[in-house]
Amino acid sequence: MSIFPVLNTSGSGLRTFRIWMDAIADNIANINTVRPFDEEAFQARFIVAQAVRSDHQNPPGVGGGSRAAAVLFGDPQGRVRYEPGHPYANEQGLVRYPDMDLGDQMTQLLMAQRAYQLNLAVIDRARDSYLQAIQINGR
Amino acid sequence: MAIPGIGQLVGAPGAVPLARPKQLEAGGEPKGDFGNIVVNALQGLEAVQDRADGLAVKAATGDLTDVHDYTIAATEAALATEFTVAVRNRAVEAFNEVMRMQI
Repeated sequence: MSIFPVLNTSGSGLRTFRIWMDAIADNIANINTVRPFDEEAFQARFIVAQAVRSDHQNPPGVGGGSRAAAVLFGDPQGRVRYEPGHPYANEQGLVRYPDMDLGDQMTQLLMAQRAYQLNLAVIDRARDSYLQAIQINGR
Repeated sequence: MAIPGIGQLVGAPGAVPLARPKQLEAGGEPKGDFGNIVVNALQGLEAVQDRADGLAVKAATGDLTDVHDYTIAATEAALATEFTVAVRNRAVEAFNEVMRMQI
């Protein structure tokens, strides 16, 4: 509850995209995490964003931003590769790599970064607008 | 010479009388007087500033998880301060205007 609701709405967006960037950072950090064949591979993290309902805004249909509601996990099978020299390799020389694509992760990182910047831009504009409203007929 | 009181303005079609505060209509002292409004606004401002202060401490001690939490709270506090000061300035202006009135 605030007289400057845009700030909190955009703040929730910032948090959502920060969490998304965290998840992408985790994915990229584990892009080369190798697991033995009989264990699960590293699973890519997916953030599920959800719209937040808000009951104090005017008009009431306008929501209160977004939130990261859940984290979903990718394929635990991963990508099976033939690397007989690897210490984790089984008798057939197979190991598991995570089922992730670096290009895809970088694209997602770009999207998350741009979305974060957009929310920052909204906060900036809102602040300017509120300030101008306060200064109506002022000095 | 008797000066007649100012009567109600009639004959202005579409003119709606100004709404009177309910407390005034009920009679007695108005509860929501300007002083109370200002005190409430200042308390709200204090809460906003306390929030920003708490987050600043968190930022200094490394407990802050989201950078924007602090910056947004600080922006909100600055805006609320600006707003309260603006309201106060307008009120003082209006008071001075009334005081300058020639009777």
